[in-house]
Order: sequence, then structure tokens, then C-alpha cells
Amino acid sequence: MTETNKDPNLLEDALRNAIRREDAPEGFALRVLARADQQNPAHEARTSWLSIFSQPLVRWVAFATVSICLVIGGVHYRNLQRQRIQGEAAKQQLMLALRIAGSKLQLAKSKVNEINQSRPEPQPQNRSPRSRS
Amino acid sequence: MSAITRKLLPMVLLLAIPTILRAQDLKLPPGVEKLAAKAKETVEVNMDGPMLRWASKFLSTEDPDEQKAAKLVANLKGIYVRSFEFSEEGAYSAAEVEALRAQFRSPEWSRVVGVRSERDGDNVDVFFKMENDKMAGIVVIAAEPKELTFVNIVGPLEVDQLADLGGEFGIPKLKTKPPSSKPVAKADKGEQK
Repeated sequence: MTETNKDPNLLEDALRNAIRREDAPEGFALRVLARADQQNPAHEARTSWLSIFSQPLVRWVAFATVSICLVIGGVHYRNLQRQRIQGEAAKQQLMLALRIAGSKLQLAKSKVNEINQSRPEPQPQNRSPRSRS
Repeated sequence: MSAITRKLLPMVLLLAIPTILRAQDLKLPPGVEKLAAKAKETVEVNMDGPMLRWASKFLSTEDPDEQKAAKLVANLKGIYVRSFEFSEEGAYSAAEVEALRAQFRSPEWSRVVGVRSERDGDNVDVFFKMENDKMAGIVVIAAEPKELTFVNIVGPLEVDQLADLGGEFGIPKLKTKPPSSKPVAKADKGEQK
């Protein structure tokens, strides 16, 4: 039999010591997370994929590709903008042409109406029934 | 002829073909084109079929005027307009207008309206081009004291569309003046003069 078994007070002290609250050492949480992350296979895949950019040539090629894409996109956008402006101008021209055509046809129509109104209406001819004697 | 000229000539001719064809649609006497120099305001519209299709893509489907315009130009092959506005009367001669009218005195063209008004000096001619009993084009020549307008619409136009063209597009309808003076104007239907 041990000392603690013999004395209940000693047992109680020993238990209190064993379960007393104690703060984790500094950086413990970070170390745990880092360890867990290293064991994650996705992280390994990500690091291996990103590792190709460690080579300068790959970095330059990627940079050039992104730059070319941006330039092409910019030029395409500018062309679309230009086309839209030209299209709007063409639409305005079309509407102007139709308005002029419409107004001149309206002028012709009004002149014809004017002439028709100015003409004296034909008088109905009163034909007297011929009487035979 | 040098070798370069020989090589370039077909290319130049090829490039000139659309211009020549367009010019065939709208022949204006040289004097009329010169009127632009005298005009206070000039409107020149040259729109062929592809250009009309392209422009009509930008017409709004919500605006009623633009809806009508889209319907109207759907089958057209071209719209050509020359309009000269002058600050003074007599900027153009009657002979210049007559030269314009003379181009449409052919069997394929019918003058449906011809108005001569000595009172206010407004002379309007409307010519229709008929193909297989269907309208294939319309020409309007409006010679007013301070304005000369030439409109050439190439392509099939329905009569109701034409009526729309006459009184729509937000243009206030012209009021008919009271018949005061002796009318000199004449309107002839289907007469080929």
C-alpha cells in the first residue's frame, strides 16, 4: 500500500495537482495547426503545383501570358466600344434619312390634299325627265 | 505601263466597284453636288443594304418610332438622301432639278405625284419603281425655295409602311393652307411625264 492510499488527504492533494489548470506553452496552437496542415494531402498538392512558379522561366511565361490576355481583352473591349459608337451614329443617320423622307412625303401629301380641297366639287347634274308630247 | 501599275490596276478597279455600283443607285448631276458649297446646311446619307442591317441592330425595341423604322428597313437595299438648305432663295436652278427628274423618266419608273406650286414655290415629285407589280423603290425630289431634297429608297416597300413613313417619326403633320390663290400645282397619278 502506498502513502497516498493510506492518507486520504495526500490522495486529494495529488489529484488536485494532477488536474490543476495550466496554460499551454507559447506557440502550441500554431505548432499543432502547422503539423495538421503538413499532414493534409491537399496542402501537399497545392505546394507542389505552386512550386512550378519557383522557376524564373515559368514565372516570365505566366506574366507574359497574363499581359497578352489583358492586352487582347482591352483591344477587344475597345473595338466593341468603337463598334457601338459607330452603330449608334449609323442609327442616327438612318433615323434622320427616314425623317427627311417622311417629311417630304408628308409635304407631297399635303400639297395633293390642298389641291383637292381647292378644286370645286362637281355639281350634280339635274337631268329633267324628257317629256314627250 | 509599268509592272507595278499593271499589278495595281486590277486591285484599284476592284476597290472602285462598290463606289461605281453605289453611284448607279444615286446619280446626281455634278451641279447638284456642288450645291453643298452654297448650302447653309447639308445632309448626306448613303446607306446600302448591309449598312442598313447593321444600323437597324442598334434600333431600340422599346421606342415606337425605332420599332417602325426597323420594320421598314428590314427588306430595303439602300437609302440615299441629299438635302441642301440655303440661306437665300434661288441658290439652285430649275435646270438642275429638271436634270434630276429626267433620270426617272424611264419605263421602270412611274411618277405618282408631281406638285408644282407657283404660290409658295414648293415642287414635289414622287416616283415609284415597280418590279413584278411590287414596289421596288421610291424617289422623292422636293424643290422648295430655300431647300432642295432628294431621297432615294431602294427596295421593296409595303404601302402601309409607306404611309407610316409619310406621317410618323414625330414629324408634325403639315397643315393644309387655305386655298386662296389660283392653284397651279397638279397631282398626277400614274402619269409618266
